[in-house]
This record gives sequence, structure tokens and C-alpha cells, in this order.
Amino acid sequence: MKRNTLVITAVLFILAAFAWAGWANWEYRQQAAERVLAGAAQAQLVPDAAGGAAQFLSPLKGQPAPGFTLEDLSGNKVSLAGYKGKAVLLNFWATWCGPCKIETPWLIELRNQYAAQGFEILGISVDDIDRDDPAKLSGEKQEIARFVQQMHMPYPVLIDGDSLSKPYGGLDALPASFFVDRNGTVVASQLGLTSKAEIEANIRKALGVAK
Amino acid sequence: MRSPSPQVNSPAMRIAAALALALAGLLAQAQNLTPRSISRPPAVTYLYPEQVTVPAGKPATIALHFRIAPGLHINSHTPKAEELISTTLSISNGSGVRLDGAVYPPGIDFTLPIDPGTKLSVYTGDFIIQASIVAVPGEHLIEARLRYQACDNNACMPPRTISAPIDVIGK
Repeated sequence: MKRNTLVITAVLFILAAFAWAGWANWEYRQQAAERVLAGAAQAQLVPDAAGGAAQFLSPLKGQPAPGFTLEDLSGNKVSLAGYKGKAVLLNFWATWCGPCKIETPWLIELRNQYAAQGFEILGISVDDIDRDDPAKLSGEKQEIARFVQQMHMPYPVLIDGDSLSKPYGGLDALPASFFVDRNGTVVASQLGLTSKAEIEANIRKALGVAK
Repeated sequence: MRSPSPQVNSPAMRIAAALALALAGLLAQAQNLTPRSISRPPAVTYLYPEQVTVPAGKPATIALHFRIAPGLHINSHTPKAEELISTTLSISNGSGVRLDGAVYPPGIDFTLPIDPGTKLSVYTGDFIIQASIVAVPGEHLIEARLRYQACDNNACMPPRTISAPIDVIGK
């Protein structure tokens, strides 16, 4: 009798432990999911309440801009570190991105306006490129070059921007811009088409110019 | 030689031991769990059909229904600019079902509010692709693939390919 009581108690304990393990498992998954979502600086393609562009709060703001070295269309290596001391706008774009096409003339005007103060734009194409197939790669580069020519982009254009997707928070939507100050710190970011005035305000912030 | 203890031999204790082992395994697994993969829902989802029956060896037309998330648009099959990525349906070779052709709906003329001068040809909401397929006899679970590129009024998402799983029965 006593032994049976002990066995039943043990079984009940084990069943309770099963229930606890199941709950702990669920809780762990929930917390992990929340951590992943919180860490993802990804685009929300939802206009704000006022009907304007989507708000984009990048976790990179206030952090050093992740360093990189990419090739330009001529095959030259270009590093972010090479622009130390300058304010830099990293503008991620693609040939298939209509809103990118709309903002490019604004970027050109602003680049020309602020270049003398130590401002530069790095246009970073996230168009797919196929490094394993030289013929295909050449065609893809030509397509990007054609776009650059059509838009009269006077600033360096780099390719393979997709490789920066992780350090720059996903790049789930374009255009995406990061404004880097003279010390290499990200001071502002924008996702999607905003306005020339907003871009200019962020350039001035990166330059450390008073309003 | 030592005889086994009577407690372990009893059926109740065997059950308890089995449960304890199972629990130990479960707890060990709980420590190594990886979070569920989290991805944003695609801009386009496949609606139906899930299963079709077609005459084997002959072209048959099936209507594939898709839905675009509210507030988004995708380029039509015939976008107005060369650099834009068209919506395209494909079926992998060797699946027992061949895509003979596809009739896409005409695109809707669309302009971005900030750029009224540029007309786009897009799909919004629900759309249907009439796919002409040829199936060999038998049952084939195929995954038709739809490649598209979606935007809203302010931003564009990278091109994406979704699967449309269809059970095709060739009779």
C-alpha cells in the first residue's frame, strides 16, 4: 500500500514535470521570438498615421557604421574607412526600385551643394550579381552602369550591397539611407522615399552643421 | 548473483522509470531548442486550387489564384520599363508536370502620388494566372513558383519567389 502511494506520487510528480517542461519550452520560444523581432531593423511598409513615409528607427543610430569594402563598377575596391573625416550618406538602392529613382536627383543636388563641406554619397546597389558566371556578372554590371549613366549619378556607386544586408539591419525595403558623421557614427537613417528636406536635414546632422 | 530489486520489477515502477527517461529527454531537448524561424509574411500568397485533375498527356488550363497584401502592388507580367522585374510563373522540370504556357492578367495603370508622370503596370489585390499544363499519368505534388517584386507608395521590397503547392492528378 505504502509502495503504491509512493509510485503514484512519483508518477504525478513526473506528469507535473512534463507540464512544466512544456510550459518552459513555449515560454523559451516566445522569448526567443521577441528577441529576434526586437533585434531586426527591418522595414515596415506601412505609412505613418499622418499618411507620410514609413518610420524607420535603426538600432545602428548612435553606433559606429559597420565597416565594409565593396567594388565599384570598374572593379576598384572602396572602403567606408577611406572616408574618415567626411560626412557620408550610404544610400542603398536598386535598378528595379521606383522610389530610388525618384530620390536620386535630390541626392545629386544635395551632394553638389554640400560636397565642399566634406560630404559624400556612396550609392550602394543591391541588385543581384552572379560572381560565379563572368558573362552574367558583366551583363548585370552593365545594367547597373546604364542606370547610373541615365541618372547622371556623380558619386561612387558600389555593387554587391546585398552582402551588407546583415550588418545594416536586413535592408528589407529600398531606398534605405544611413547618415554617417565625420567620426564614423550613424546619426540618422531613412527607409523608403521621404522628402528632399528630410534628407537635407539629416545631411546637415551628419556634417554637424547648425540648423 | 544479485537478484533484481522487487521495486524496479513492478509494473508501476517500470512505467515511472519510462516516464522519467522520457522527461529527461524532453528537458535535454528544451535546452537546445532554436527559436522558430521568423520571417515577414510575403507580399503575395497563393490561394488555390490545392488539387486539380487533368487529362494525362494533353494541355489543360488551370486557374491559379493569388492575393497581394493590402497597400502593396507588384509589377505585372509586362511592366512598362525594362529594369522592372516582371511577375512570372514557372514549374520545375522533372516534376511530372510541364508548364506549356501562361496567360497573365493585364496590368493596371498605376502612378505613385509623388511621381504622377510615370505610369506603372501593376497588379493589386487578387489576381489569376491561367496556366496551361501537361501532366504525365499519375499523381504529382508540384510546387509552381511565382517570382514577383513588390512595392508600396514609398518603398520597394527585393524580388521574391513563392511556392504554390498543387496536387496534380493526370488521368
